[in-house]
Amino acid sequence: MGIVNMAHGDIYMAGAILTFYVVSTLGNFWLSLVVVPVVIILISAPMERFVLRPYEGYHSSSMIATVGISFIIQQIALGTYGGIPKKITNPWPISFNFLGVDYPGYRFLVACISILILAGLWLFLYKTSYGILVRASMQDREMASAIGINVNQVLVTTFVMGSVLAAVGGILAAPINQVSYLMGNDIVLLCFIVVIVGGLGSLKGTLIAALSLCSLEGMMASILSPTQARAAIFVIMIIVLMRRPQGLFTE
Amino acid sequence: MSMIFGKIVEKRPIVFYVAIVFLLLFLVMGVTLPKGARSLVIQMMIFSILGMGYDLSLGFTNQCSLGHSVFFGAGAYGVIFSIMYLKVGLLPSLSFSFVAGLVFAVITGVISVRLSEAYFVIVTAIFFAVFHLLAMDMTWLTGGDDGLSIQLPALSLGFGKLSLYDPLVNYYFVLAFLVLSYLILDRIVKSPMGKVFISIRESEKRVQFLGYNVFRYKLIAFILSGMFSALSGGLYALTLRYGSADFFSFHWSIMPVVWCLIGGLGTLVGPWIGAVIMSLFQYYVSAWWTYYLILFGIIILLILRISRKGILGYIISRRLT
Amino acid sequence: MASGANFLETLDVTKRFGGLTALDHVTYAVKEGEVRGIIGPNGAGKTTFFNVITGELKPTSGKIFLKGEDITDLSPHLICQKGLSRTFQLTLVFPEMTVYDSIWVGVNLRKRWPWNPVVSAHHILDVSQRTQEICELVGLTEKMNELAYNLSYGHQKVLEIAMALSTEPSVLLLDEPTQGVSPQETDNISKVIEKLSKNMTIILIEHSMDVVLRLCHVITVLSEGRVIAEGRPEEISKNEEVQRIYLGEVS
Repeated sequence: MGIVNMAHGDIYMAGAILTFYVVSTLGNFWLSLVVVPVVIILISAPMERFVLRPYEGYHSSSMIATVGISFIIQQIALGTYGGIPKKITNPWPISFNFLGVDYPGYRFLVACISILILAGLWLFLYKTSYGILVRASMQDREMASAIGINVNQVLVTTFVMGSVLAAVGGILAAPINQVSYLMGNDIVLLCFIVVIVGGLGSLKGTLIAALSLCSLEGMMASILSPTQARAAIFVIMIIVLMRRPQGLFTE
Repeated sequence: MSMIFGKIVEKRPIVFYVAIVFLLLFLVMGVTLPKGARSLVIQMMIFSILGMGYDLSLGFTNQCSLGHSVFFGAGAYGVIFSIMYLKVGLLPSLSFSFVAGLVFAVITGVISVRLSEAYFVIVTAIFFAVFHLLAMDMTWLTGGDDGLSIQLPALSLGFGKLSLYDPLVNYYFVLAFLVLSYLILDRIVKSPMGKVFISIRESEKRVQFLGYNVFRYKLIAFILSGMFSALSGGLYALTLRYGSADFFSFHWSIMPVVWCLIGGLGTLVGPWIGAVIMSLFQYYVSAWWTYYLILFGIIILLILRISRKGILGYIISRRLT
Repeated sequence: MASGANFLETLDVTKRFGGLTALDHVTYAVKEGEVRGIIGPNGAGKTTFFNVITGELKPTSGKIFLKGEDITDLSPHLICQKGLSRTFQLTLVFPEMTVYDSIWVGVNLRKRWPWNPVVSAHHILDVSQRTQEICELVGLTEKMNELAYNLSYGHQKVLEIAMALSTEPSVLLLDEPTQGVSPQETDNISKVIEKLSKNMTIILIEHSMDVVLRLCHVITVLSEGRVIAEGRPEEISKNEEVQRIYLGEVS
């Protein structure tokens, strides 16, 4: 969509925080996969319509508008949830023993769910007729509306889907990391880098970039300190972009 | 026979007058304001320099960088290291800031400037992240989060010595640099090179097909932008007598963007307006509501709604129509 | 081998975009001082041809020569510096700069002043003189201090031409200079082109047969990326295949 959404990380955070509330009031973690997306849809649709849509084409303005939203969401979270990071109990505290190494069951489950989601997304974008509309609108908005696509609706849908995905990420991440109102900030830059290095518009690229980035970071963290490992992968990403400015895979 | 370059004369005086008004106000406030307010204004002036530097990048060549905190931090540590280890005087330490800005801007610029818009934004953001992480990690060098404090040398001018510990001296020292920076940047922007910058902003493709090596010009604008941002970092370190890894944080990358967009992009003086509004806001509102950042966000959204080019941009466009 | 007699020449240029062949082995030669027309139905590859010549696109195969020099792999700004200048079908003007400033930008480069940040360009008489001359040449003197976005479409088209002229080209490529303007403005622009043709080589992409027949010494007809006819206006207007292509076309 051409928008750098600085509030994307905060939607992820909102997903996690809402999960916390679902768990503490309703007692069931898995319910949040149903409840939270609904809430997020209700929040992100008006966000796109009233805050982002006016700035189409003015990239720096829309970016700053999302910064404004980011401030607002973070402060609301701070005010309601509080500044102290809290934990959610592991919803599947089993561990598998595979070839002598223990794998936590929940994380394995998260990996499976993520693969399913990605597969679903890929199917949607490449195999359904609505997916074609989305891709057409992204490639050439004027042309798309000229041939009768309701571009505005597509934009809202895409944005909402992106937000829901972010929130689901937050839901799944909640039991693993601590839930805090600052969660979004850590993740948002990684998210942008992964998308850019993978290549804008390429799902495959994003996936590969994400996997490689995390594996690399994991490996580096065993030799360097975590902060250094993080900095190191950033440097590697810069080098990758120097060699291939358009990202690894392009549409 | 001399032609006036484009009769954007309608546009020029307004920005110019606004600048004069600001500078006069700043001049007077130095002696009339109480201590607390005065140090707030010093901050506003420093932020104005940072904002102006950033405007050169975003407002004049349409390069939306998120990595300017690197220059701000580099400038601050340029001052701190040169005073701590090289024992230089006050003015020389600021030249170290300037040079630090140059060096870092060249390094980041050569890599980022050739990239297209969204990629540029994110790569500059990566640079911010790298340097921020390194600054926080290398506490032996930077003091990490806690930072390093310095003892300020005296400011030796031809006719005697002044100490920046005197708040009045500090104030007018910063004001002098604001004026100087404005004059230099204004000259640059109105020069032939500045006009080329503006044409790049208006249509990069077109300028390329007029024979210009666009990359070179964008890089120069980026480097100049970094140098003045570093200068503001140096002044900030001098005023606080301190610098920390926090000077590399995202706050210093994103605030200049906010100041420019709120105050008016591409005007040099717009960021002054943005910095003043935001600083006042932060100072007063944070006192009665902890969650003042919510209002921060709302103000940003409101002002951007009214005019994408910020307050000054709005005023100018009203005058032109 | 490039012939020295040819001012601008393409040898066997092919441009493919994935499966689509936009230009198919196009060999084209222009002599100094000629006014050449390129016509053809939409999608024939005319603008792609210009894009390849001016360096915006690299040909898949083939070579381009300007005054005997191989310019195939040069970047656009260098090609422009060598004396090749173009206008764009969709006008690329500088919206918030005045007409005078817009033309000034190109003239400025030719007069080699851009590095001097201190001396105000006020005092550079030959730059301002040349800029005014160009304004007069295209008839925009009254509008000299208008902002480009305030100009009517017809005037913007003329400004496009003026900007292309500011680079002191020896070869001028005009991409549909009369598209979308009133008959009176078409006439005006034709007169300007006629005036220019006395001093430079011009290649003209046009849909308006009147303009092409009136101004051009030689007309080339492109269809589906191939040159299907080339000759003097009288020959071309009698050519059956050309007539078939144009009669089937709403132009």
